[in-house]
Amino acid sequence: MKDTRYTPPTLFLRFFRWFCDPALRVFIEGDLIELYQRRCRTFRKTKADIYFAIDVLLLFRPGIIRSADRFDTINHYTMYRNYLKIAWRSMTRQKMYALIKVGGFALGLATCIIIFLFIRHELSYDKQYKDSAQIYRLYNEYKESSDEKWTAFPPSITHILKTEYPEVEQAGRLIPYKWFNAGSNLFRRDDQKENTYEEGFAYADQELLEILEIPLVYGNPLHALDKPNTIVLSKSKADKYFPNENPVGRNIVLNDDPAKTFMVGGVMKDFAVTSHLQYDFFITLTGVEFWPGEQTSWCCWNYNPYVKLRPGTDPAQLEKKMLAIKDKYYVGYLNETKSQSAEDVKKYHSFHLQPVSDIYLHSSDIMDEIKHGDIRYVWLFGGIAIFILLLACINFINLSTAKSANRAKEVGLRKVVGSVRGHLIRQFLTESMVYSFVSFALGIVIVWVSLPYFNVIAGRSLSIPWLSWWFYPVLLGSAFMIGLLAGAYPSFYLSAFKPIQVLKGNISRGSKNATLRNVMVVFQFTTSIILIIGTFVIYRQMNYILNTKIGFDKEQVIEIQGANTLNKKQATFKNELLKLRDVEHVTISNYLPVTGTNRDQNGFWREGKSTEEKSVGAQKWYVDEDYISTLGMKLAEGRNFLPNVASDSQAIIINQAMAKAIGLKNPVGERIMTWETFTVVGVVEDFHFESMKGKIGPLAMVLGDGGDVISIKVKTEDMQRVLQSITGLWNTFMPFQPIRYTFLDESYARMYDDVQRMGQLFASFAVLAIIVACLGLFALSAFMVEQRNKEISIRLVLGASVNNIVRLLTQNFVLLVVLSFVIATPVAWYLMQTWLEDYAYKTSITWDIFILSGVAAIAIALLTISYQSIRAALANPATRLRSE
Amino acid sequence: MKKFQLGEFEEIVMLTVGILYNEAYGVSIKIEIETRLSRSVSVGALQTALKRLEDKGYLKSREGEATEDRAGRPKKYYQITALGKKAMEYTRSTRNEMWDAIPKVAWNVKVAG
Repeated sequence: MKDTRYTPPTLFLRFFRWFCDPALRVFIEGDLIELYQRRCRTFRKTKADIYFAIDVLLLFRPGIIRSADRFDTINHYTMYRNYLKIAWRSMTRQKMYALIKVGGFALGLATCIIIFLFIRHELSYDKQYKDSAQIYRLYNEYKESSDEKWTAFPPSITHILKTEYPEVEQAGRLIPYKWFNAGSNLFRRDDQKENTYEEGFAYADQELLEILEIPLVYGNPLHALDKPNTIVLSKSKADKYFPNENPVGRNIVLNDDPAKTFMVGGVMKDFAVTSHLQYDFFITLTGVEFWPGEQTSWCCWNYNPYVKLRPGTDPAQLEKKMLAIKDKYYVGYLNETKSQSAEDVKKYHSFHLQPVSDIYLHSSDIMDEIKHGDIRYVWLFGGIAIFILLLACINFINLSTAKSANRAKEVGLRKVVGSVRGHLIRQFLTESMVYSFVSFALGIVIVWVSLPYFNVIAGRSLSIPWLSWWFYPVLLGSAFMIGLLAGAYPSFYLSAFKPIQVLKGNISRGSKNATLRNVMVVFQFTTSIILIIGTFVIYRQMNYILNTKIGFDKEQVIEIQGANTLNKKQATFKNELLKLRDVEHVTISNYLPVTGTNRDQNGFWREGKSTEEKSVGAQKWYVDEDYISTLGMKLAEGRNFLPNVASDSQAIIINQAMAKAIGLKNPVGERIMTWETFTVVGVVEDFHFESMKGKIGPLAMVLGDGGDVISIKVKTEDMQRVLQSITGLWNTFMPFQPIRYTFLDESYARMYDDVQRMGQLFASFAVLAIIVACLGLFALSAFMVEQRNKEISIRLVLGASVNNIVRLLTQNFVLLVVLSFVIATPVAWYLMQTWLEDYAYKTSITWDIFILSGVAAIAIALLTISYQSIRAALANPATRLRSE
Repeated sequence: MKKFQLGEFEEIVMLTVGILYNEAYGVSIKIEIETRLSRSVSVGALQTALKRLEDKGYLKSREGEATEDRAGRPKKYYQITALGKKAMEYTRSTRNEMWDAIPKVAWNVKVAG
């Protein structure tokens, strides 16, 4: 009969098998095949095939299709209930393991959630513009031996762009740094007397408001700043000074100077937190000329231009075309002044456009005086988040597989009773889901509690987006995904147990996968050690910055801000100050060796060489004769300025870097020039006046009157009392202006806030990673002790000392940590070397950092394991062996 | 209220199972109906009906032998249960009652027509 057997179309047969209710399948399949054979004998095969297909398709109907309602869910509902119950029971039976599993997981998750919030915040900057793709800012690049980028341009740049480049729809300028009235001022309404100190002033063009789509609450957005002497306030400042009224058209006075009266042209909404610009006051640039000829000259670069391009403009193309501006105007200016830099400028200087959405994260190498984030930190923290999550998952996997022996019997029994592997996988996945969801809930609580602290450390204002629609699905989704991720390996591993072996009792009791577990422990500790080393190096660098010889004495220097309003009384005030107890020196100067104070970059030449040599760019600081003594700087050569010596108005003191740059071997007595000529009377030792990220640049000091800042060097044990007497003195001079003072060392430390933050963040991450890793290690060691219970007892009975036992139990783990250390060292060295490259002045990474980190890691690991091992070694073997 | 529920096709299937007695399984029932009533029956319709009848308790089944024609798949033989028999009888008697209830005159229509 063999030859009469036909095979029905497999495709349909398989389809049938797939959908058919398993209870009916074989019988109906038999019927179908029998019918097919009969038909094959009467018809052609193709016809039989067609009939077969029709039969199958007609079978595709309720009643035959395996139904979800009868077989699957009811059964599964009870099964899932059972799974959950078993999960709960195994949790409660081993409280410590469950706690470590959930706690470690929750910690890791909390870190991830916080970092996720951080990254989301960093990426959300400058997304609010409607025409975002058309808005750019300009920056310069000077690429010779080093690559310098900065955003300041001469004042006429926007005019040139608008008239000569049809691609540019709008162009507006901004002066964001402390310059004339930009920065901070004393502020009052013109009908009031009391002055208040305010920060957040910037100069801006009317067109800047339009380009950056700054929304106005009051005033005409197209005419807010287009008249001379107008000012735009933010909503919060308007509410502060003009509560419940529309201030447009009212007048305000800056610095108590009636000549500085401004009319309010508009009120803008407060800047979004996620904007790279954060200002409260925009002073118009309309009709402004800071000195005669300033607006048309190419001498001085102080303006940050923003442009809006016409739709469809290719910025790369425009960048190339803009080089013509440089050649025509800038090189023209340089040739006119017979400057030697013209050739270099032609070769190395270029103009570029940066999309507005890139400004916040992608400007770490552009000098722009704006506070920004750094895309590298986004990547770094993202990496750390993933690693810590991995650590937490590894813990979970490690513990689950280690404890597998306890579940082996259950698996065996379930299999015997009829559970298939799929069901067991489902069971263990359910279990890990339960852990994951519980951990997520706990993690959210941890985030909620710790977010304020993180905000302080990171200098951000993050919040949990409770009200966002996407928050909960994302949370649930990730809980699900992570539960799956962490549970996948254990569930496959556990469900693969063979029932016969397990029930006979010769499962290898979880030690089979020692290699994998060891790899995971190594991974955990490698990550932790890298973070420890990173923390050490960052703190070293911070220490180096704060304690290295910086060339001036920042301790016990009080700075009174806003002293310009004293006007002619400044000298009297200074003398009165000197009469106070404990006050040693007083100096008045806006130029201080911390960022955020005045800067004035000038080109210097040796006398008479301005047409022959390239200029030396140097800071020119206006100080008084007490400056050097107040700030504790040291003269390397020559003398200080002399009081009341008329010729000293042409005297100049330079720093060593300047002497070197301008090429003077014996600078004292030499003459150098800008547009006027000075005689060098002294050389001051180099001191750090900018962040240590850059080298100490050339600097010169000349005598100059007046200033906003009075620096007072005191020597006292009782700072509070000195401050009180200074405040009292101030109040007699300036009854309508509250005193405002800062400390120089604090201002100095603030320059390195970001380093400090990095240090603290790294330290917290390192601690977290260590905690997670140690939780895992603790549980693992507990498990090991449990496994080797009998062995330990027998060894003890045979005379092993406590020492022997502890060594036996710990040496394996210590080896793993040592191995991790070996792996972590080069990685950490490389990473931290890269980080330190940002600094011109840096600490060196020495061996003791590695040794210290390694010892710390081993000590922590030992401490973690030792509790369990010592307990095991001290236990009475008789109690444990008796039960056998 | 209906005491027993038995559709027309279901009744035919029940009857056929009865006719075939010990030999009632999928294919034989299908062929029997097709030859007796000269109407085609799809496997799907038949199997759903059989399943429904079994669920209602009118039929019971047992696993039978496998033949080579069925590629080793067992047959599923059906048998009428006591409940099934009651249902069939109920259907039959209600129908008879209704037949009897038709007045004789009613039949004259056809004659007259």
